[in-house]
Amino acid sequence: MAEAQNIRVAVDIGGTFTDIYVLDEATGALRVAKSASTPNPIDGVMRGLQEAKVDLANVTLFSHGTTVATNALIQRSYPRGAMVCTEGFRDVIEIRRADKNDLWDTYHDVAPPPIRRRDRLTVAERVDAFGEIVTPLDEAGAREVARILKKRKVASVAVCFMNSYVNPANEIRMKEILEEEMPGTPISTSSGVLPEIFEHERFSTTVANAVLTPVVSRYVEELGTKLAQDGYKSDLLLLHSGGGVMTAHTVKDFSARLAASGIAAGAIASRHIGMLCGFRNSIGLDMGGTSTDVSMAYDGETRVTKDWSVEFGYPIRFPSIEVLTIGAGGGSLAWIDDVGGLRNGPQSAGANPGPACYGNGNAVPTNTDANVMLGRLGTSLAGGQITLDYDKAKEAVKTGVAEPLGLGLDEAALSIVSVANANMADAVRLISITRGYDPRDFALIAFGGAGALHGAALAKELSIPAVIVPPAPGVTSALGCLLVDIQHDLGFSYIKPVANADAGEIEAEFQALEKEAVERLSKEGVAPEDMVLQRNIDMMYQGQWRSLSVSVGAPFTDLDAAVEAFHREHQRGYNFRRDGAPVELYRLNLRAIGKTPHAELAKHPTGGALPAPKATRMVRFDESESRIDTPVYWRDDLPAGVAFTGPAIVEQLDSTTVIPPGVKVEIDAYMNIIMRIEEA
Amino acid sequence: MATETELHPVTFEVLKNAFINTVDQMAEQVLRTCYSFVIYNRDFSSALHDAEGNTIAQGNYDIAVHVGTLHYSCMDVIRVFGGKMREGDVFIVNDPYSGGTHFNDVRLVRPVFADGEVIGYAQSNGHWADIGGSVPGSFDVMAKEMFKEGLRITPMRIVEQGELRRDIANMLAGNTRDPAAIIGDMEAQIEATRVGEREILRLVAKYGKDVVKAGMAAVQDYVERAMRQRLAALPDGTWESVDFIDQDPDDGEGLIPIRSKVTIKGDSIVYDLTGSHGVIGTLYNSAFGATFSGIVGGLKTFFPDLPLNSGFYRAIKMVAPENSIVSAEWPVAVTGFLMVYEKIMNGAFEIFSKIMPERAMAGTFNIEYLLTGGRNKRTDSLFMLYDWLPGGWGARNGRDGAGPITACFGTGLQAQPVEGQERANPILTERFEILTDSAGPGRHRGGMATIKSSRLTKCEKGVISYICDRERAIVFGIEGGLPSMPHGLTLRRKKDGTDTWMGAIFSDVPIAEGDWFSRPTAGGGGYGDPLERDPEAVKEDVADDLVSIRRAGMDYGVVIETVDADLAEYKVDYPGTEKLRQELRGQRRGWLKLDPEEVSRLYKAGEIDAMDCCRRYAVVLEWETGNLLPKSTAQFREMVNIRSAAYWSDTATPAEAAAE
Repeated sequence: MAEAQNIRVAVDIGGTFTDIYVLDEATGALRVAKSASTPNPIDGVMRGLQEAKVDLANVTLFSHGTTVATNALIQRSYPRGAMVCTEGFRDVIEIRRADKNDLWDTYHDVAPPPIRRRDRLTVAERVDAFGEIVTPLDEAGAREVARILKKRKVASVAVCFMNSYVNPANEIRMKEILEEEMPGTPISTSSGVLPEIFEHERFSTTVANAVLTPVVSRYVEELGTKLAQDGYKSDLLLLHSGGGVMTAHTVKDFSARLAASGIAAGAIASRHIGMLCGFRNSIGLDMGGTSTDVSMAYDGETRVTKDWSVEFGYPIRFPSIEVLTIGAGGGSLAWIDDVGGLRNGPQSAGANPGPACYGNGNAVPTNTDANVMLGRLGTSLAGGQITLDYDKAKEAVKTGVAEPLGLGLDEAALSIVSVANANMADAVRLISITRGYDPRDFALIAFGGAGALHGAALAKELSIPAVIVPPAPGVTSALGCLLVDIQHDLGFSYIKPVANADAGEIEAEFQALEKEAVERLSKEGVAPEDMVLQRNIDMMYQGQWRSLSVSVGAPFTDLDAAVEAFHREHQRGYNFRRDGAPVELYRLNLRAIGKTPHAELAKHPTGGALPAPKATRMVRFDESESRIDTPVYWRDDLPAGVAFTGPAIVEQLDSTTVIPPGVKVEIDAYMNIIMRIEEA
Repeated sequence: MATETELHPVTFEVLKNAFINTVDQMAEQVLRTCYSFVIYNRDFSSALHDAEGNTIAQGNYDIAVHVGTLHYSCMDVIRVFGGKMREGDVFIVNDPYSGGTHFNDVRLVRPVFADGEVIGYAQSNGHWADIGGSVPGSFDVMAKEMFKEGLRITPMRIVEQGELRRDIANMLAGNTRDPAAIIGDMEAQIEATRVGEREILRLVAKYGKDVVKAGMAAVQDYVERAMRQRLAALPDGTWESVDFIDQDPDDGEGLIPIRSKVTIKGDSIVYDLTGSHGVIGTLYNSAFGATFSGIVGGLKTFFPDLPLNSGFYRAIKMVAPENSIVSAEWPVAVTGFLMVYEKIMNGAFEIFSKIMPERAMAGTFNIEYLLTGGRNKRTDSLFMLYDWLPGGWGARNGRDGAGPITACFGTGLQAQPVEGQERANPILTERFEILTDSAGPGRHRGGMATIKSSRLTKCEKGVISYICDRERAIVFGIEGGLPSMPHGLTLRRKKDGTDTWMGAIFSDVPIAEGDWFSRPTAGGGGYGDPLERDPEAVKEDVADDLVSIRRAGMDYGVVIETVDADLAEYKVDYPGTEKLRQELRGQRRGWLKLDPEEVSRLYKAGEIDAMDCCRRYAVVLEWETGNLLPKSTAQFREMVNIRSAAYWSDTATPAEAAAE
């Protein structure tokens, strides 16, 4: 195959597969490849590039989502890190907020802290809440700590002092001493990483950053070197949790920003597809074999949260794309509990043994088995490479659900799918209705291996009017790495009642942030005309404990307008506002974007005719009383612009789309399937 | 009424999950809009009820101490307003004597109407930071009757057909120390009940009123069946436990017993508290609702996967002696019911450790509240600091105890950030860390305690109160494990620089700028004979400074040598350990019989410390003076003999222990 001159490559590494997306900048043509992930993920990347016949000399932009940071945190697979703390406060990251993720199960423990107690050393120093140095840094003590850490050969150090967010002097001095005594060892200070009030959240973020730095640096260097050897000339771009990319230069200082890199990609892709189809509001449903990731974009922006962690109890308070993961996937088991209730998940048959219809020994019915039984999923998948055993699916549904509950076979299978859909609908409600968003204003983007099987039913359950299935649902996430800008999130605690605040002073603070942001972007080679700086302020009613973010313009002159915007946002999110109540400023934030030139996805000429179905089969839908003879189309046969009405099944290599009776469908110019769900 | 068998299995499962999802949505709303930092740190709960007030669903992250009480409050509202409710009404109640907990826990209850009929209720319960009374935070430890404690709100209509009744709201808020925040919390909770209403009505629109009502009944039946099935699978029998409150200041020294007797027969359980002490002369009394909550909390610990609703509660029969410490009536002070609650839970831990040994757990540390208030000279305004600390939970079968984590009365409750406290209050904390040697020794040791030491900065007219317990009723070990250590606060006056042991309960003590106070929590109790602990595990604890080299020898009989402290490298002296363990085995039964007066003398002479008294001699002293508390000691010794010494072997060899 003749390769184009200018191509972009995005690589998304998952647990099982490494997905590779290749975009031709001139034509917008896309091509996808899948390769098995390897123990050293870089081997999988390089092999995948070879298999996909990518000539790195032609690649203008290589972007990358990786789980390397997430996995290192979960598996504690990073070299020995240490922490230097204010005397009397070595245990902040172990005491945490002292809560548990399972309140009642006394045998279910919170994971131990990322740095062992023996490696958390202290030094005499103290700053008070208002920035005054109560105890100067004990320089002799600091050198003694450095001596010990050097002797222990620690690979990185987190410096975490009380109240350093308001005065970082002691932390900075401690860092200097460590750098003198142990040059070359990466040091993260909490004031440098996250200048924000609340010691556990700040320290936990700093510690994650410190322990990840050696891992991520090594990874980025190795990958960068290998790509360069094979001819890649540009910067390696890494997708970070906030939904942008950063270059290898910045990654080394903010390693913890990669902690949700792998999860963010799907949410970004989902937003993008929604936007292409004209939906500024969309809900992403990425349903795989064992779990489903639900994300949301509102008014063209993915929802971002700072309440996020890889493991319970260890927050990483960098802005992160909000993704709710629930234990519902194609392989989720349907089971009858002790008391006769029909349950679905969170246990899963996984990839092995997999659903009963895989014939690998599992006899408990899964969502996949129910879909096979109902005819929604065919028995020949992936273009004939995988054959599913209909009889085993039927037997599992029969013995696992139909017989114990006294239901007919079809009814039992429908019940399994309905419970799975209801669980997913509850998850969507938690991130939409609970936050004041009405699903009727959204489109559902259904992807992942199983999303398109359930998308239409879920949309009906939630009164979502449109469902979009992208062209390659199984590898959609990688698209998210391809189409994002460089992005940095800066900010700091700025706690002050509005009554005492001064717009001029706030403007000066924002300008200082912008100066830092521009420096960072310049270092990454972003031209001034490609820089976009967005300001926002976190505010709350004085006395409240959670803040809301309100975007503000530049220059900042009108405090009253910002307060009014806060009242409005409170009303939208929580259904009430308190006009007379005093409002407090909490944090100033700046998002700095370096625009990367956007390549367009190819548009296909519309107006094709509906091809003949490749087959028909009897399918049971929720809406019908019995099975209906249903046309089955091969997705590659469906041209852009074609429109038809369900019932129909659309099969393709990595996914199957279910179109219920009466649902109107069109294939748009980007080859998305768009279903219009009528209110029942 | 229809039962779940008439509902389609899918409809049932969907409704069951939707009810739980709804209370989670209510919780999210409260968390994001509340004013009370107590609520913000998760001292709140949410529930849905059926038309009779029975609980259909309670939040997964509700604080433990509210479970099993919300239905009582809802029924109290129905008792007063049944038949007189209108759409858009919301009611308010905080009455502990009708099944609530204490006055700070204020409950907002909204009837949900469908076709003009009340089909259920949504309730939001939150701990307001102040509800009036004689001390900031409304915990007066000297209160014997409720009149000093705070405002008792019997059921009232706070929202009338959608309109907040400002007259009532202002009157309630005007009786507290922070009226603006109280109105804020009230509004946050009212909106949370509206979230509950919205979701129930969504279900009604989709499934119809009758199906939703049937679902409300069916989820209760479902949980009751599950609970009874679990009970039926346990052996029949009767088990007993006694735990203690430290003292009744009206009645001299002596531990105050709270007795639990559990009888399981078939699929039923009777929880009998007969033999528990009468009401005492402090606020450490519990009314029936809070007592029932303690039983529910204890049982839920051993059936953690069962959802909580009235079906769970129906399976339990509670017997409580009238007008006792576990069944106090108006106007006995009950704000400190938490102490009783935790003792009931610890009783359940001990009893169920025998019934379900695979989930066994020793005693946990005690909830502690510090309240200090006065005038902040920096801001020239009143301040009120209200703090609680995490500590150690009991050691488990095959595992050390968890900790530091929040007290068992509310595992969801979060510890507060020091930086937040220092910003809002004239206080500087000098130390907040894990306390070395705090865990009760055992083959598996208890969870670790914390210690926090702080100094008051620019303030005047300061007062300090402390609400805690287990200064004398020390956290217990089981199966041969040892108790941990006493709770209590030490105060150091700037003017003379001397330390005073203030104990675990005192109120309204004046405190001035520059004064310093420090309090540890306690570690969890140990499980199994500490002389059988793997010496390597002791060595690891030493490397992390969780156990000192000194106490590694005293408590575990393990001799640790320092290889290189710079590298945190230590090693076990095995021959030394074997010898020391033999010696300890030979002596320890004798120590438990040593004349308590002699122990008191050794303590006064500085030869032994409080940990030695608790762990080695099972003697309870007045920790400030060293004077013996003979009655308390006799009670404590009896329990240490039953729970610890009875399980010790005098012959086990270290080799056997190491092989374990």
